[in-house]
Amino acid sequence: MPTELIQLLLNGLSVGSMYALFALGYTLVFSVLGVINFSHGAVFTLGAYFTFLLIGGNVGSNGLLAGFQLPFALPFWLALVLAGLGSALVALVIERVAFQPLRQRGADPLLALITSLGAGVILVNLIQLLMGAESHAIPTSSLGNLPAALNIGGAMVRTVQVLLLAIAAALVVALTAWIEGSRSGKALQAVSEDPITAQLLGINSSRMIQVAFGLGGFLAGIAGGLVGLSVSIAGPYFGIGYGLKGLGVLVLGGLGSVPGAVLGGLIIGLAEACVPADFSGYKDAVSYGFLFLMLLIRPQGLLGRALPNKV
Amino acid sequence: MSPQTEPLAHSARTGTARSQSSLASSPLLELKQLVVRYGSITALHGLDLSIQRGDCVALLGANGAGKSTTLRAISRLVNAASGQILWHGGEIGQLSTERTVKLGISHCPEGRRVLGRLSVADNLVLGAWLRRDRQAIDNDLERCYGLFPRLAERRQQQAGSLSGGEQQMLAIGRSLMARPTLLMLDEPSLGLAPKLVAEVMTILAQLHQEGLTILLVEQNAHAALAIADRAVVIEAGQATISGPSQQLLADPSLQNAYLGH
Repeated sequence: MPTELIQLLLNGLSVGSMYALFALGYTLVFSVLGVINFSHGAVFTLGAYFTFLLIGGNVGSNGLLAGFQLPFALPFWLALVLAGLGSALVALVIERVAFQPLRQRGADPLLALITSLGAGVILVNLIQLLMGAESHAIPTSSLGNLPAALNIGGAMVRTVQVLLLAIAAALVVALTAWIEGSRSGKALQAVSEDPITAQLLGINSSRMIQVAFGLGGFLAGIAGGLVGLSVSIAGPYFGIGYGLKGLGVLVLGGLGSVPGAVLGGLIIGLAEACVPADFSGYKDAVSYGFLFLMLLIRPQGLLGRALPNKV
Repeated sequence: MSPQTEPLAHSARTGTARSQSSLASSPLLELKQLVVRYGSITALHGLDLSIQRGDCVALLGANGAGKSTTLRAISRLVNAASGQILWHGGEIGQLSTERTVKLGISHCPEGRRVLGRLSVADNLVLGAWLRRDRQAIDNDLERCYGLFPRLAERRQQQAGSLSGGEQQMLAIGRSLMARPTLLMLDEPSLGLAPKLVAEVMTILAQLHQEGLTILLVEQNAHAALAIADRAVVIEAGQATISGPSQQLLADPSLQNAYLGH
């Protein structure tokens, strides 16, 4: 295989794997609630900032926390896991304040689109208020003594990209094993298919919804930290682009389908990687154009079932 | 009794709403003046119903009389506007649906509602969701397959691919996996061929024999009265006639209204 092709493939797959991690959170929540959680992009952003702070990053000269720096600097791996857990916690709080009250009052599920969007906007603005709008980088030195590039089949590839792909793959495998293989994973599927029947079996639907939010928040936080490492944190709003892209991935793969989210993410990542460097400004146009074409051919998405009737 | 011969329908259950001392005196389940409204429509107008442990009670009535609503109120899928739901004499009208399952009330809903994307085995195992006794769950699973051999043949098949009769058997089996004290069934004969109706009713009669308390909602009054000890007729949200099945079978007014004579 020509080395350019290997490079292109790995680029596409590593970017795509981040889209996939991001879209999995959308899919988990969508499958149990039938609505899109629009605060997901903000939780992703938060994961990136958490990681940045935990590795000992300095806030910089703007925001209420100007000049702030934690008194310790954690290695990247530990920071990433803690950032994932912190993001999961925030996602649970968002569920509690933006979703649960509506559900308890029997409101139209679509209203949660608005409340979740509100929660996301508040979160992003809070980040800006505290830390300013500047961009930050997570230095690869926080990884320890890893080589900057690896030789794969004669092609030199950034180590970070291989890591991104490996971590995303491990998380997807673990999540799939849990959903398909464990009793609680099957209970989640039961809630997703028929919440009333799930209740009659004694499954606490609210608990399962929280599990979906927690897992989705964890995955988004991890993705945020990893993107911060491989690219940079381009300010508090950098999650919005991912939020929209993730939505595209979700629709491409099929709403509520876990393998669909993974496949959709990889396809969009690869499609973007195929855009030549001179035209990189058109990446989004290419991926959304591609999405548009796919939907014309297969509106329920690649691995989607007929659209759920609960929406 | 060894675990191998213990019947699937488990009648001696502990951990219920009230202390054991009240078991002897109070009925297993009692509804007092239950009122349920859906918006401006009143579905139950002060329903009274009492079920003793070991009873098999049929709830008869026309479409829209409030039979399903009664079951939905007991398993707390709908809120009562007023009245009481007593379990062993203790009020359970404020509990969550999950808690009623934990108490030993298993509600097999109308239209079967099997989880079509999961396998037959997964559906059954999820029926035992609140139980933690793995060994006993495995034993019950095997007993369930013994009761419904057709489910055993299709255990790895997606539940949605089963025929109507098989789905009904799966729904009943799934309810039994919770080891209920009270099994409530909503129209188990609906949409089934007469031969399958007979098959399902035979199995319910057998479970009743083993000591399971059953509350059976049916439009097929003949089939229900054949296995029930007692029946209650609901009309416009109230219990109007009740008595032993034999007596109701002979009642001319009931024959005209529900038995098609």
